[in-house]
Amino acid sequence: MSIEKIVSADNQNVSIAIEDRFDFSLHQKFRESYADCDTNGTVFTLKLDKTSYMDSSALGMILLLKDHADKISGKVVINKPNETVNKILEIAQFHRLLTIEL
Amino acid sequence: MNAMVENPDAKLALVVDDSEMQCKILKNLLIEEDYRVLTCHDGARAVALYIEHLPDLVLMDINMPVMNGYEAAKRIKSLSPNSLAPLIFITSLDSDQAFVDGIEAGGDGILTRPFSPEVFKAKIKSIQRISNLYTQVKTLQQEQQQDAELAEQIMSGVIEARNFALDRIGIIKQAAALFSGDIQLTALCPGGNINVLLGDFTGHGLRSSIGAIPLSETFRVMTKKGFSLMEIIDQVNRQLYELLPVDLFCCVCCVTISSHERSAYVFNAGLPDAYIFNQEGKIKHKVESNHIPLGVMPGLLAHAQLQVFSVEEHDRVVLISDGILEARNHEGEMYGNKRFEYAAKQGFYQGDIPGKVFDAVNEFCLGRPQEDDLSLIDVPCDGWEQALTTGESAHSQAVSEMHDLYLESEPSWKWQLSLTGQRLALVNPVPMAMGQIQEIEGNGEHWNNMYSILTELYVNALDHGILRLNSELKNSAAGFAHYFMVRESRLKNLATGRIDISLSYHPLTSGGKMIISIADDGEGFDLEGFYKQQTKLKQVGEDKVMLCGRGIDLVHQLSEKLEYLDKGNKVQATYVWAK
Repeated sequence: MSIEKIVSADNQNVSIAIEDRFDFSLHQKFRESYADCDTNGTVFTLKLDKTSYMDSSALGMILLLKDHADKISGKVVINKPNETVNKILEIAQFHRLLTIEL
Repeated sequence: MNAMVENPDAKLALVVDDSEMQCKILKNLLIEEDYRVLTCHDGARAVALYIEHLPDLVLMDINMPVMNGYEAAKRIKSLSPNSLAPLIFITSLDSDQAFVDGIEAGGDGILTRPFSPEVFKAKIKSIQRISNLYTQVKTLQQEQQQDAELAEQIMSGVIEARNFALDRIGIIKQAAALFSGDIQLTALCPGGNINVLLGDFTGHGLRSSIGAIPLSETFRVMTKKGFSLMEIIDQVNRQLYELLPVDLFCCVCCVTISSHERSAYVFNAGLPDAYIFNQEGKIKHKVESNHIPLGVMPGLLAHAQLQVFSVEEHDRVVLISDGILEARNHEGEMYGNKRFEYAAKQGFYQGDIPGKVFDAVNEFCLGRPQEDDLSLIDVPCDGWEQALTTGESAHSQAVSEMHDLYLESEPSWKWQLSLTGQRLALVNPVPMAMGQIQEIEGNGEHWNNMYSILTELYVNALDHGILRLNSELKNSAAGFAHYFMVRESRLKNLATGRIDISLSYHPLTSGGKMIISIADDGEGFDLEGFYKQQTKLKQVGEDKVMLCGRGIDLVHQLSEKLEYLDKGNKVQATYVWAK
């Protein structure tokens, strides 16, 4: 379980990659990964291609990220979730809230 | 033995050493660190003193008469399994073995002589720091446990104990933490329909329970007042949005089952597919989630609407939480839909879907710790209208009284409401009318029938009079769904039209009489033709297979008199009840 964060030179793009399980144990780390990114209009790309599983508290954490992004007029893009994870996003109808790139 | 008494709040240490001299040195050092000190010279005495005084720290020599330090340490540690009771061995045995044995015996550290007073004091400080931390964690844990127990009690004792018809609805819940984030609610609608809700709050434990009380209150109160499922969901969503922090929300699947309409109305926001099984245990429908969980957005999505299904006698609706599908075995494999469907089918034949599914999930997981709450609700689709037709016997007296007085009496009160245009789409006048009645006349079982009559007549006026929907559409299962789609879109674009509702209440000595009159400004319908067709259908016994017209049948049964007036766009029902 790990989080890797890459910030572009102009601070406009932040990519957060999550490996293995995305659940409550990442709460603290996940929050820290974006808390200090407050450049106006930042696009947060949540890379889930290596995420094997996600629970409902992870959905809650994504909502927190979206809340943060909304405050700085930014946006959240979910990138390449696998089939299992996408099913979870689909059941929660998250494509109505943010962009999901398959 | 010789405890210092100056400061009773100071921490208490127990020094155990067979050398008088060593005891004195250690005691003085501890007094400098503000400890009160007890001393003794063998292990057995140490255990006795420990039991009597429960000291905050124990310093223990190893080689002593009567009972050595290892044995004494083991006994002391076994006396207090739930506290740290820090214990340090003080020894001149400078060997790895002494260190290993000391820790094995339950010691929390070892100091090897000779040591300087500074090293000794540092050691004491470090062990005390750990001990304080341990006490803190313990206290917090106990508080949390108490909170969780309270929440559990509120949930099962207060919220879920008030559920309706638990003898007919199968509910099973197996919580991951003591307190479950899942909530299961059932309530009877005034018209004899049943509302069922399965909710899954984010996370587990107390944190996930904040929303449970407002959710259950709203669900029950609004159901009782006769609000539609969509209105209840809208309100619940708004409440949870205002109440819960951003990352807390509730996945919900709720169903209204109407026996007399033979339909199930389903709203799934974030839970796995809901299932409708037919009487052979085959899957008739899987109802996917088509909405974001409740509490995420301030209002429901624009497209939000119920999914409507026609159901037969012996059909069953089964709602499940994701905990069932995501339960994992030792290989990390998930239980999944296929296994669930198989187990549910077997359960269907055995007459116990919940029991069978739970046994199957538990067997699959084979004692692997449960990660999420498991919940299931199994609701039969027939038999709910029976809740309505009780208390018939006393009824006849009130009816004969009504005939005596006939229409002589003036109503003791009247209530009228006219709705036009868009308001017809936005306002549901039935709960308002029921609210008025209960406000003036108090609560009573007989209002349930009243609610049904009012709802059926109003819906007919709106659907057929104003929206001009043809109820024959509902004759096939496919048309059934189509009907509701068309209804939804016509409602949205409604600009004209008018419906007048009036209630007149006539008190009778042994009950009462209500005249309900509803008129719309639609075209009406061919009354004569309608009655002829009804009679014809009744004669060939086809009324049972009709998917439409059941509403009016019900009103016929419930009311004393039912008349269509003018060109069929005005209807008047007389409802009589006994006290």
